[in-house]
Amino acid sequence: MKDMHTTKITRAINWNRMDDEKDLEVWNRLTVNFWLPEKVPLSNDIPSWGTLTDHEKQLTIRVFTGLTLLDTIQNTVGAPSLMPDAVTPHEEAVLTNIAFMEAVHARSYSSIFSTLCSTKEIDEAFRWSEENPHLQAKARTILDTYAPGNDPLKRKIASVFLESFLFYSGFYLPMYWSSRAKLTNTADLIRLIIRDEAVHGYYVGYKFQRGYEKRTEAEQQELKDYAFALMFELYGIENEYTEELYDELGLTEDVKVFLHYNANKALQNLGFEALFPPEVSEVNPAILAALSPDSENHDFFSGSGSSYVIGKAVATEDDDWDF
Amino acid sequence: MLDNELSTMDYHALNAMLNLYDGEGNIRFDADRMAAKQYFLQHVNQNTVFFHSLDEKLGYLVEEGYYEEAVLDQYSKNFMRAIWEAAYAKKFRFPTFLGAFKYYTSYTLKTRDGQRFLERYEDRVVMTSLALARGDEDQAMAFMEEILEGRFQPATPTFLNAGKASRGELISCFLLRLEDNMESIGRGINSALQLSKRGGGVALLLTNIREHGAPIKGIENQSSGVIPVMKLLEDSFSYANQLGARQGAGAVYLNAHHPDIMRFLDTKRENADEKIRIKTLSLGVVIPDITFELAKKNADMYLFSPHDVEKVYGVPFSEISVTEKYHEMVEDKRIRKSKVNAREFFQTIAEIQFESGYPYVMFEDTVNRMNPIEGRINMSNLCSEILQVNEASEFNEDLGYAKMGSDISCNLGSLNIAKTMDGKDFGRSVGAAIRALTAVSEMSAIDSVPSVRKGNDDSHAIGLGQMNLHGYLARERIHYGSADGIEFTSVYFATVAYHAIRTSCDLAQERKASFKGFETSDYGSGVFFDRYTEQDWLPQSDVVKALFEGIDLPTRDDWAALKADVMKHGLFNRNLQAVPPTGSISYINNSTSSIHPIVSKVEIRKEGKIGRVYYPAAFMDNDNLEYYRDAYEIGPEALIDTYAAATEHVDQGLSLTLFFPAEATTRDINRAQIYAWKKGIKTIYYVRLRQEALEGTEVQGCVSCTL
Repeated sequence: MKDMHTTKITRAINWNRMDDEKDLEVWNRLTVNFWLPEKVPLSNDIPSWGTLTDHEKQLTIRVFTGLTLLDTIQNTVGAPSLMPDAVTPHEEAVLTNIAFMEAVHARSYSSIFSTLCSTKEIDEAFRWSEENPHLQAKARTILDTYAPGNDPLKRKIASVFLESFLFYSGFYLPMYWSSRAKLTNTADLIRLIIRDEAVHGYYVGYKFQRGYEKRTEAEQQELKDYAFALMFELYGIENEYTEELYDELGLTEDVKVFLHYNANKALQNLGFEALFPPEVSEVNPAILAALSPDSENHDFFSGSGSSYVIGKAVATEDDDWDF
Repeated sequence: MLDNELSTMDYHALNAMLNLYDGEGNIRFDADRMAAKQYFLQHVNQNTVFFHSLDEKLGYLVEEGYYEEAVLDQYSKNFMRAIWEAAYAKKFRFPTFLGAFKYYTSYTLKTRDGQRFLERYEDRVVMTSLALARGDEDQAMAFMEEILEGRFQPATPTFLNAGKASRGELISCFLLRLEDNMESIGRGINSALQLSKRGGGVALLLTNIREHGAPIKGIENQSSGVIPVMKLLEDSFSYANQLGARQGAGAVYLNAHHPDIMRFLDTKRENADEKIRIKTLSLGVVIPDITFELAKKNADMYLFSPHDVEKVYGVPFSEISVTEKYHEMVEDKRIRKSKVNAREFFQTIAEIQFESGYPYVMFEDTVNRMNPIEGRINMSNLCSEILQVNEASEFNEDLGYAKMGSDISCNLGSLNIAKTMDGKDFGRSVGAAIRALTAVSEMSAIDSVPSVRKGNDDSHAIGLGQMNLHGYLARERIHYGSADGIEFTSVYFATVAYHAIRTSCDLAQERKASFKGFETSDYGSGVFFDRYTEQDWLPQSDVVKALFEGIDLPTRDDWAALKADVMKHGLFNRNLQAVPPTGSISYINNSTSSIHPIVSKVEIRKEGKIGRVYYPAAFMDNDNLEYYRDAYEIGPEALIDTYAAATEHVDQGLSLTLFFPAEATTRDINRAQIYAWKKGIKTIYYVRLRQEALEGTEVQGCVSCTL
């Protein structure tokens, strides 16, 4: 009765035989970084939320809705579409972790919404995200690249651009608020997301570079042209998206500089040279400095900070208790 | 960058530049100084209400109900002009952006809409001095000098509130007992609300509350244990805050041998269920010596039902020394018990500390061995530096007192070690500080919680702290945790202890009163002084001797004379010293926090009110960076050794935070805890972790992330 002619062997993943040590390093990093939005006392931001103008509130909700959309893509399409291309079983395992954390991120924005906003505001923002041409164009461009049959390395390019570039027009806003003492717990949560996305973009970029090395020179040139063309296209969309969102607050120029910085960073993750010269990539120090999650000395009574991790449990030995 | 280029920038951006190296890899201290300057030019000066004269200003502030008239009425107009003039003549400037920003966002008096400033720093200092001196002109002038010159800094509640007409309490910290009955729990929650509203941090003792599944009125499996009480408290604290100025904050302490201990710890787990997750309430565990002994043998530790313990011994669980009665209780059939492996218990603590920084730890037997006062210490407070005895209250059904016990309050203030050393007169600086803190105690009467009022009236307990140890040592080019650094710490704290006791003895003579229980204390018997009359606490090494040159240090004979005076005249304050973690006030005072090593050369500070701001360590410049190794580089042992040297001379506790890189394991944390316990440390405050950015993902050129 059994289907005897399927001879493909299913192999169990063996973490004691690593083909690429980077897989283990990143796996370890991602697992200790595990977190859930419930750990951040978002409700402490309610008074601060109340000090925003209606326009600022609307902008903030929209920005987060845009981020939710990107995380949804990464969770349901992006990371899973990279899995069949994995060259090691460990890479697949890392990608499942990435996919799951993207779901946590998407979930986190909803935690922010439900804490700070009314249902009506939330529904309005989600409708906006479905109707906004720039946001939809972003999503479509990336999704097209993720489509089956495409070159696996092109998928990785798209993934890195999404993780290391497209998110940042949105991340700018909570960093801006927190540098002005507003929505600081929300910023903590976003910083946890940034902490994850930085590793995701770096890791997929690393895997891209390993694949890229194996290609012929002609193929390499084609991939590189493709990457820069895609970057230009996305950059065009991001510019318009940024202007639409940030013009009224007068932050557009500042956000664009931030886009340049992150576009360079995304290209760097792929192993390519920077696109934007340093003079147009000098990010506002308040935003740049706000990006680093580590070693923050927070006041425990108003927030939980973004530097705690799941520890490695090791039992004590007899000589530890030598007293 | 050129000055004129910097001067066009926004002060937040300038301040953030401190966290980014310049082209040559130097830290941009100039940008931060410019940030402080621009903050005044762009924001403070434009938003400060202008008055033509002091008289006009004071008249307006009293008339509009901003200043407390009674404070000013104690002084003549001439004197007030003199003290204000003297204060402004000192030309105070904030050396860092965070110092100025913190002061103006959180301390200074503002118009009721919060938009305009009514005070400058000098005004706040003078008002605090006038309020605490209660009409004594010389004392007011002395307080003003000590505070404005940066030697003494009152704690936030005092400095924030003194002299203002609508204000919270001047006291920092409250500690309440809960007993195993609904009246005590209900009254405790009410007290937590009342005290939170008035601005103090509140800690509550849960050790006496019966465990999950314990019988109520003899019916089994009825009690819900301590977790629901914690939930109630957490919500109470987030509801009550002091006019929005300070968020309500609370801590709960539980004995390691309470049956709910593992559940208590699990409330801080990353994946804890929402129903039991505790987000903002702080946790502390009280660990007796026996737990270490059991862990050493890799044995199980028994947990005892507080309900049964109270029935058997006739006193609440917290009155019992678990170490002393452990084997007796294990053998006693009447006490229901459960067990966990002692090493697993310690490992669980370390795991939770990794995930959340909690719990605090209090080493119960160490604390009680070193307590000079009769009675038992069974808990600490929100910052784990207050260690005082308490006494249970009993309630009627209407929540009135059947018997009023005694609860704990403490008002704090800290000396800036560098400035105190520079001032060279410990008698003056410590004396003024002790008198200022005593004034807070005498001026306070917490009527909403009578057991706290009684505790304060009976004890006049105060807590003089210290800060800027690392800043001072680095300025003198001594490494934190080095032999010289530790020796300095020991001599410094012994000297402070001497002058603190001396002043309190003077106060006892002036007031003709001692704290309640003086006769049965180690001060009353003189035993306390043995260690100071039997051995010298003077500097040995040439380096440390040089630091103390020109400073009068107490000899054995001085201590012997002090002993005789104390035994004859008494002591006014039951408790004198406690070293708090000093967050906000050390920024204003331009100090490194407490006696901790710095957390980073440029510290990223985040709080609800100020957002994310960057702070350079005190006295640091691009030439002395090597003396500013941070806490993660210094490691737990040097930190514990430094604290152990200070602990010997501090009658209460010291907030001690442990710092680990994220690559550390629970075993590393456990080892540090064992080492701390062995070295006679009394309490451990937070465990902090730092995760380095994965190579390739870091923010380029960031001071706080690259080492």
